[in-house]
Formats: sequence, C-alpha cells, structure tokens
Amino acid sequence: MSSTAAAARYVGQSVKRLEDPRLVTGHGRYVDDIVLAGMLHVAFGRSDLARAAITRLDISAAEALEGVYAVFTAADLNPHNDSLRASMHPPEVPAPPANMLADGDVRFVGDPYVMVVAQSRYIAEDALDLIDAEFEPLDPVVDYETAADSENHVHPELGGNLAHDLPVSNPAQQEVFASAARVVTETWHQHRQTNVPMETRGIVASWQPHAGVMEVWASTQSPHEIQLVGARVLGIGEHKMVVHFGDVGGGFGQKMFLGREDMAVLVAAKLLGCPLKWIEDRRENLLASNHARIEQMTVSMAVDEDGRFLAADLDQLEDDGAYPLGGPATPGAMAAMLYPGPYRMGPVSWRARTVYTNTCGRGAYRGPWQMESVAREQMIDRVAQKIGMDPLELRRRNVLKPEDLPYAVSTGLSFETTISPDQTLEQAAAMIGYDDFRAEQAQAREQGRYLGLGIALYIEPTSMGMGPLGTESAMLRVEVDGHVNVFMGTGSHGQSLETTMAQLVADELGVRPEDVTLHQGHGSGYGFGTGGSRSAVIAGSAARAAASGVREKAVAIAAHLMEASADDLEVADGVISVKGTPSATMTMAQVAVTAYLNSDALPEGMEAGLEHTARYKAPPSTHSNACHICTCELDPGTGKVTLLRYVVSEDCGVLINPMVVDGQIAGGVVQGIGGVLYEHCVYDESGNPLASTFLDYLVPTAAEVPELETGHVVVPSDTPGGHKGTGEGGAIGAPPAVFNAVADALAPFGVHPNRQPLDPSTVLGLIASASA
Amino acid sequence: MADQIPLSMTVNGRIRRGRGEPRLTLADFLREQALCTGVHLGCEHGVCGSCTVLMDGEAVRSCLLFAVQAEGADITTVEGLAPDDETLHPVQEAFRDCHGLQCGFCTPGFVVSVAAFLEANPDPSDDEIRHGIAGNLCRCTGYQGIVAATRQAADAMRGGGR
Amino acid sequence: MPAGGRLSRIGQRGGLQCRAVKPAPFEYHAPESVADVASLLAEHGDDAKPLAGGQSLVPMLAMRLTRFEHIVDLNRVGELFGVESGNGGVRIGAMTRQAAVEADAMVAERVPLLHLAAPHIGHFQIRNRGTIGGSVAHADPASEFPAVMLALDGTAEVASSSSVREVPAAEFFESTFMTAMAPDELLVALRFSSWEQPAGFAFDEIARRSGDFALAGAAVGIGADDQGRINRAAVGMLGVGPTPLRAASVEAALMGLSAAEADPAEIGRLAADDMDPIGDVHASAEYRLRAGSTLVGRVLAAALSQVQKEAGLG
Repeated sequence: MSSTAAAARYVGQSVKRLEDPRLVTGHGRYVDDIVLAGMLHVAFGRSDLARAAITRLDISAAEALEGVYAVFTAADLNPHNDSLRASMHPPEVPAPPANMLADGDVRFVGDPYVMVVAQSRYIAEDALDLIDAEFEPLDPVVDYETAADSENHVHPELGGNLAHDLPVSNPAQQEVFASAARVVTETWHQHRQTNVPMETRGIVASWQPHAGVMEVWASTQSPHEIQLVGARVLGIGEHKMVVHFGDVGGGFGQKMFLGREDMAVLVAAKLLGCPLKWIEDRRENLLASNHARIEQMTVSMAVDEDGRFLAADLDQLEDDGAYPLGGPATPGAMAAMLYPGPYRMGPVSWRARTVYTNTCGRGAYRGPWQMESVAREQMIDRVAQKIGMDPLELRRRNVLKPEDLPYAVSTGLSFETTISPDQTLEQAAAMIGYDDFRAEQAQAREQGRYLGLGIALYIEPTSMGMGPLGTESAMLRVEVDGHVNVFMGTGSHGQSLETTMAQLVADELGVRPEDVTLHQGHGSGYGFGTGGSRSAVIAGSAARAAASGVREKAVAIAAHLMEASADDLEVADGVISVKGTPSATMTMAQVAVTAYLNSDALPEGMEAGLEHTARYKAPPSTHSNACHICTCELDPGTGKVTLLRYVVSEDCGVLINPMVVDGQIAGGVVQGIGGVLYEHCVYDESGNPLASTFLDYLVPTAAEVPELETGHVVVPSDTPGGHKGTGEGGAIGAPPAVFNAVADALAPFGVHPNRQPLDPSTVLGLIASASA
Repeated sequence: MADQIPLSMTVNGRIRRGRGEPRLTLADFLREQALCTGVHLGCEHGVCGSCTVLMDGEAVRSCLLFAVQAEGADITTVEGLAPDDETLHPVQEAFRDCHGLQCGFCTPGFVVSVAAFLEANPDPSDDEIRHGIAGNLCRCTGYQGIVAATRQAADAMRGGGR
Repeated sequence: MPAGGRLSRIGQRGGLQCRAVKPAPFEYHAPESVADVASLLAEHGDDAKPLAGGQSLVPMLAMRLTRFEHIVDLNRVGELFGVESGNGGVRIGAMTRQAAVEADAMVAERVPLLHLAAPHIGHFQIRNRGTIGGSVAHADPASEFPAVMLALDGTAEVASSSSVREVPAAEFFESTFMTAMAPDELLVALRFSSWEQPAGFAFDEIARRSGDFALAGAAVGIGADDQGRINRAAVGMLGVGPTPLRAASVEAALMGLSAAEADPAEIGRLAADDMDPIGDVHASAEYRLRAGSTLVGRVLAAALSQVQKEAGLG
C-alpha cells in the first residue's frame, strides 16, 4: 500500500450525490427505458388458484391474435433449465422443481403457466384474455403452522412440506432452566410483508444468433448473479453473457437473485432470436415476486432474581411459500444464532424449521434474519414486565460492555472488540430523554392518554465473508486526461455507491470525487452485488486498494519526472506536489499522458499505463450496532397509533458520507414502521391474496412517519477504512421498537400483544378483549 | 382492435405528435412517443404517484388518463422543469441538497408534485408538507430528505429563487 | 358514471388476481353536450360507460376488472362544469373537479360540509381530476361526497335522451356501487340548499393512511335556534354500511336538546344502531361499529361547539 496515505478530504463529508443531477431531472436509465430495434414484449398468464391441476390449456386463439409472436407453455421452456438454483444455493440441497412455467399444476395464486410474446404489452395482455385454460382445484396448504403435517404436498416431488429442520440442542441450557429463578415463555409472530421497490422487477434480453451472445439489461442488485446463473441456464459461457447495469429503482433484497420469470425471458429470447422485454406490473410484484417475514419464534428465557439473562430456548418456524426467490434458505438458523445479540447470555438451544405452502415464495427482505431482534427485544420487554423492572434498566444490566469484548456467543458467533452496544443504548436513551418521557407518560395516563415507549438494541452482522459473498473487486484506470474510471461488481440501487466509492477513490488516489465514474455490470470482476450491507466494507475496501495501487504508481512516475523523492510528494484533487514547495507540481493528467502516450519517459522497467485491479476478501463478519427508541400515542377510541418521536443511535464505524448513512437508516426504519403498523400481504383460508394493489398493501406515506433523529457513535472496525455496513439496520431495529412502544401504551389495559400487525382494528380489538 | 388515432399535444413546450389506440395511456404516450422516460410507472393504478405530470398546470396521474384525453393539452414532465441543461429547478436542487432521493424511481413524480404543491402553498407548515406530499410513495428515503427538500424549496421559491 | 374518488376495494374482490395492467380496447367518444352524451348512452346501453375524472374507472379498466366497448368521455362537455347559485343554495355541475369544489367560495359559504369533506378525498393530484359527479355516481360507501349529499338531503339531476329527473339523495344510493340511475342516464348536477340558521358543520374520518378511503367517517350538520336549542340535525356516515348512511337515531336524540348540554360521546354511541358494516382487510366489522360511533361522537362535538358559536352562545 502507499507509503503516503492520503488525508481524508472527502470521506466523512456529506458530498452531494453524483447520481442526482440525472435522477432529479428524469434522465436516469432504468430497464423499462431500454428500447431495442425489433424488441417484443412479454406478459405472463398466472394462476388464480392456490393449488390446482391444469386440465386444459389451449393457446391457439392467443397464438392467432394479430401482433402475437409466440405463446410458450411449460413444455417449451422448462426443459431448458436444469435448476432454479441461485449461485448461493448448493446443488445437493433439495429444491422445488425447476419450473419456469407451471407444468401440469399450479402451486400458488400468481404461479405463471403461460408466457405471451407480442408487439406490445397491450396486445400481449389481449392474448392472455384468449388463453383457454381449465383448472381442477385441489386443497391448498395455506397455514404454515400446520403445513408440515398436511397430507397435501406443495411440491409432490419433495415428498413433504418440511423444507428444513435444524435442531441444535445445548444440554447446558436445560441445566440452567432447571435451576433458574424464572423462565418466561412467549411465541412472537411476524406477518407476511413484501419489499416493494418502487420500480418492479424487469429484464430486457437480446440474443445474437451465431455470435452466441446474450445481452441483458435488468433491474438487479447483482449483475454477476445474472451473468453466472443466466449463463448456466442458457448453457453458454460467461464470456458470452453481457449484463448491462443501469439505474435500478430499489430492491431491498428482492433483486438479488433471478426469478423464474427472468429465466423464462432469457430462454425465450434465445429460442426466438429477438430482443424481449418483461416489466413486472405492480400486482405481479405484490402477489408473485417474493414475500417475507412470515415467521414465528417461541422463546423461553431464563433470568435470575436480578434480571440477568441466563439461557434461552428457541423454536423458529418460517414459511418459504411455494417457490422461494433465490431457492430455499435458512434465515431461521441465522436468527437463532444471533438471538443473544448485544447481551451477555448463557447457553442457547434452538430449532429452526422452514415449510412450503401454496403461497408466494419467500425471498430476502432487508435484514432477512431480523426475527432475532424482534423476538429478543420484545421478549426483554415482556421479561421486564413480568419481573417488574424498567426495560431500559433490564437492558443496562445485560448489555455487552467493552470489558466483555471480544465476546464468544454461546451459539458459535463471536463479536469483535469494535462494537459499542452499550454506548448506543445510552446515547439513544439520552436523545429521547428517557426519564422525562416516563414522567410525561405517567402524567398523561392520569389524563386518560396512553403513551408508550419502545426500545430495540441490536447487533447487525454486515459484510459477511463466506462463500460467494466474500469478495469484491475494483478495476481502476486513470484515463489519459487524468479522469478515473472504476469498474466494480456492485449493483447500487439507491445506496449512492457512485458517490461513496468516488469519495473513497478520491481520498486514496488524490483526485476529486467528480473526477471518478463508477461502472457496474459488464466489464467488472465478479462480485456478489449490493445487498447484505456489504458494499461499504467489501467493495469499498477493494476500491480503496485499487486506488492505492494506482496512486503509488502515479507518485513514482511524478517523482521520476520531477526528480523528487516519492516520500516528499503529496496528491490532492488531481495535483501532485512537493511538500513544502507549492510551486513544484504536476497534474494527474500529466502523469497519465506520460504513462500512456510517452511511456519511454517512464522510470526504467516500469510498466506502461496507469491502472490497477484489486480484490478484497472480507473477514467472516463486520458487526455494526444500533439502538432505536420510539414513542407513540395510542387513541383508545379508534385504536390508531401515532408515532411521536423516533431516535436512532448507531455505530457503523467510520462514516463515508453521513447524509447517505442517515438516509439508509431512515429508509429502513420506515419500512419497519410500515411492517408493524400498515403493511400486510393478507391471504384468505383458500390461499387467495387479498392485498393486490397499493390501496390494500399499505406502504406508509410521509404523513404516517415522524421526523427521525439520528446519533452516531464511531468505533472504527478493523477493516481497511474502519467502516461497517449499515444498509439493513433500520429495518431490523424498527419493528421491535415500534412493537414495544405500542405494547407499552397498551399495558395499562392489561393486554400484551404477541403478534403484528398492530393496525387500528387489532389494537381496538385488544382493548375490547381486556374490557370484556 | 380499435383504430389508431392521431395524437397531438404540447410536451415541455414542444408540440409532440403521435398515434395510438384510444386505450393508450397518457403515461405510455409520454414515455414511448414524446421521449419523456422520466415519467415512471410504479403501479399503473393511480396510487404511487411516480407518473405525475402537469396537465395545463395541474398535477395529475398520467397513468389514469388516456393520451387521447390530453389532445391539445399542455403537458410538463420532470424533464421540462429545469430551465437549462446546467441549472436545476429549485425543487430538484433541494432534493439533491437534502438527499431526498436514493434509487430515484419515485423522484420524477415527487419533484413534479412538490413543484405543484408549492405553487399552491408557498409557505407550508411541516404538517401541511407531510400531508401535501402523501400522494406520492417512496420506499427508500423514509421521506426525511423529501420533507426537508420541500421545506428548502419552499424557502428558495419564496425568496424569488430561480 | 365512474367515480372521481379513489380506486375502491378492488383488491378485496378476489377472483382475477393478476392478469393485466393495460386496458382492453374500446371505442372512444368525446361528445361536447349533454344531449350528445345522452344519445350515445341511449345507443350503446350497457356497452357504454361515461368517463368522468377516471380516478376509479381507469384503474379498473387497466386491470381489466371491468371493460366496455364504448367509453364516453365527459371531459369536453362544458355544461357539466361549474358551481352556480340556485334556490338559495348551490347547483354543482357533475364534472366539477373535487379540487374546484374544495376551493369554491360559494360552496364554502353555503354548503360548508362539502368544503370540509373535500380535503379528505385522496390526494390533491386525485382531486385535480376527480369530479363530484363521479364520486356520487360511483357510489362507493366509503366515499366522502355521497355521505355529505345524503346527510344534507342533496338532489341529483339526472338526464337521459328522453327525460330529465331529479332524484333525492335518500333514493339515490341503492347498494354498494349501485345507484337509482339507469345505464342510459347521466348525472348532470347536484343541488344543495344552504342552512339559513345558526348551524355547525364538521367532517372527519378514520383512514389507515393519509388519503386512504375511510374505515369510518361522519358528516355532521347541526342547526339551532338563537337560544341554542337544536332544531335540525343531519348526520351522514361513510364506510359503515353498503351505502352511505344516515344516523337517524343520533339525529332524533339531538332534536330539542340544548347544544351546550348535549353529550356528544353518549349520543354518538347510538350511531352503531344505524350502521351495517362489513369487515375487510383493513378493519373488522366490529371495529367499524366501535371506532365509527366514537368518531361520530367526536364529529358531533366539533359541530356542537361551532353551532354554539354561530348562535352567539359560544
């Protein structure tokens, strides 16, 4: 690495985003903005029944419609795919059948069984009206709590509905339980929600026959996942798979993997030999993209007389739906292992199960394992109530302190010395004015008003280093005129990487952020993409290393040309100067001209050019931590909850761009608020989804959310920039904080909720049940 | 299939002509024939607000109008707000200053809506802002930056800004 | 006529879940007079649909939850627009935008309840297109203007190619999304009379989010003599039955009481007797009864407080 480390000129500043001028003026380029000559449009026919045999499927009238080019069914497409596997999914783990289109039977409402290709989306939908299909309804598996025992199998090929069952028993836990002063048990439920990126999924695929090249534009978080898995689906080499990355309108986990529809479009584009576009519509997105958070955890927690957490026993059950997006995963295991979180806690036994049902498949959603925080933080409030202790005090007694670190969690994880849960707990308590609020709350209760406060403290595993997640690369090139292009495997879809990566490069290389352009997708080296709160640490470290390599070379060239010692040179804003001699300077452009156009002038033996590629391998995990505290008022007449204040104290290490960090937190928090109070993918008992539009799936508006107050604790991580990930945290802390606040406001009624959502109808029902 | 009919309207100060069936939505016309891909489709059922444009000066959902209904109308999309290629509209400037956008997909609808909202309410309270912008959905920002941007833009526009 | 209100409750109808986002083909008509509209409706009957603001009809067309061979656009029928004075009250053309109703000074003065209800309709972008006639003709039981019209005994002017008739609000709303209008009839205007006495008006609703359709709502007008004794009471409710409803028991209980002494919470509870709610994904029927009657009490309180001021007693 460079011996002349740069001063942080841009890192730590709220640099205005380089993305914004095009995005605020409508000049972004999203996948639906891609128009190719001869491009045709795709629409899918989808099941209206949760489980049914297809007894008749006549596509002839649809095929005959003017403007229709092709109508595909399962037999046309499915043989071209051996597996729906994502790159993360090991081939030996059983998975649902590789059906891009439903074959013989449909397995959830929204299951695609026919694909129309037409001149326009309008005509494609006209053709869907002409599909003559008949179905024989079968009894669906809708309730995930009983799915494992059902005689009806979602995927008959798999012989049962239990996808995973991982029991990890710890005998020490049972011993502690036997002698504990108190064991408190509760089952905590989350409910079905979905990611709702404002831009739905979408893909444009263009096959070049004879060249054997597939060119793709997609709304994705991970261009390399498309390159890798798409090439496998198509049976071509990755060198023939060209994935362009443009603007992406959000994802929150939904666009990490290829969906069945994406694969169908790739295969159909190759079969037809012309460009195809599929833009998912909003109802498809709400009903058939992916759902999440359909889970429960039964927790028993042992405490001593002073409220110390002694041991825990966990039983986690999650609904995978029919076709989990990205394949069957086991976030429950991660939730269980993370359950102890930011507290000293003795031995933990756990079991994690996942089941298939005839519903929309589960997929990653911002903090997919966050049930650990939901269950733990809600449990702590329950324990506090049972033992008559203030919930802040109970947390203070158990929280990990610097002297506890590093900390080996009984479940096998370990936390490094750079976490600071106790500091964030105290900062948040001070920000909210904890004692004052409790006094105000007591006073309000005397006036018949119901206020509540909820705390959530958590540790977030970010930038995980295992398997395909472990590395990112950066290929950095100073062009002849001194401007910088950097090629990375990320997939920024709102995270501001064009700006934050440019800030890192600017500081490390000694240029200005606006002199740096980030290129993602085609031409970059393998990376898992943007998700899992990983880009700042993993991609950022790669960018930093690439910049550092180029800087070293630039300084060496400049030293040679200026006849100075490299140690005496400094670089800033594209100018290389001799320390203490401001008149002796050279620009990065002059160095680059030499490197490319006049390479005979380079120091002897130096390679021409001014570029460097670096790849960073992440440690197993870099943990960040945060504390959320919110307050609310409950209207006992209408059951409506109004959030009054919301504070977050977080430690994501060194902040690259504070404005961007605050923005990530705010977005996650509001998704969490939405989850607890507004959003719900409701199914009826027949497996019909009832929230199929934005009038029924209630994403919060500006009027539903309070102003957020954010505080920062900065303990640098041991990674190169000292950063920690922070993308998912907001959505991890908010659900239990909001839930606990509402539960606190309800406490005077003697009711204690254990499930979301806490919509007005539910809240009023709870109050009524208490007074009945 | 119904016949294609000629369409003509003023879009961002220029006459745009095209053709389409009566069922062609104004949003699709603007995207596909008037070259305004800043008009984004987030739901196509009138809730998310991403497709908001000004029609004869009033903010409307372009997914809930047929192009034929806008025959002869004066349409302004997000592309038509900035005075020139180097200068942003005060609302656009404020969105950038206040981190009022992340993925940027909802942004065109928000920018147009906020511009119209502030035209009618030059000095709104925070509560008026929150309800005034509630007709547009954003999934990234938690609205914090958008509320701040609206406040900043209101101040700038009242102060006789650009 | 389609609604100018929100797209209502489509997601709860089950059946076709996701198939389309672009409308099926139709023939488009843009008549410029009521007479031409009426003759198109007479000619095409059930196959034709008038298009007002389109804020409810267009989404239903786009999702192909409904389809018509002929769409009759009312947006170029000039005589359907505007507010005018009439019979001591106002006559509001059916195509008058909700935003125009909200902003109209004569409406605010003579029919304050319309002015108070309007901001609760969707969002300003919706109200810029949505029309009062569309709202009323769509007859969404959770919609604001129908409940106000019912509370105030407004009148609908309805025309066909062969007749013009007036339908009182009490007879207009037959069931959910169903009105007394025949398929060949067009809603031309709505008439409201103003209250020439000390009066208090209030409107409020409970919605999941800002701008959402009401889980329960109330539109209240209370008139009193100059002693503050209640001699007129109009209580409309939305979201708590198959149509907008009147809270007759509340109105009866209010009559003759002193505005200062009436206990709004107590009287509001009677409203439950006049409700007939159903449950949906947003709230149970039980919720609508409970929270709805609480809300009626609160809106009553606001109207009572105002009527006392108007009677010079506040």
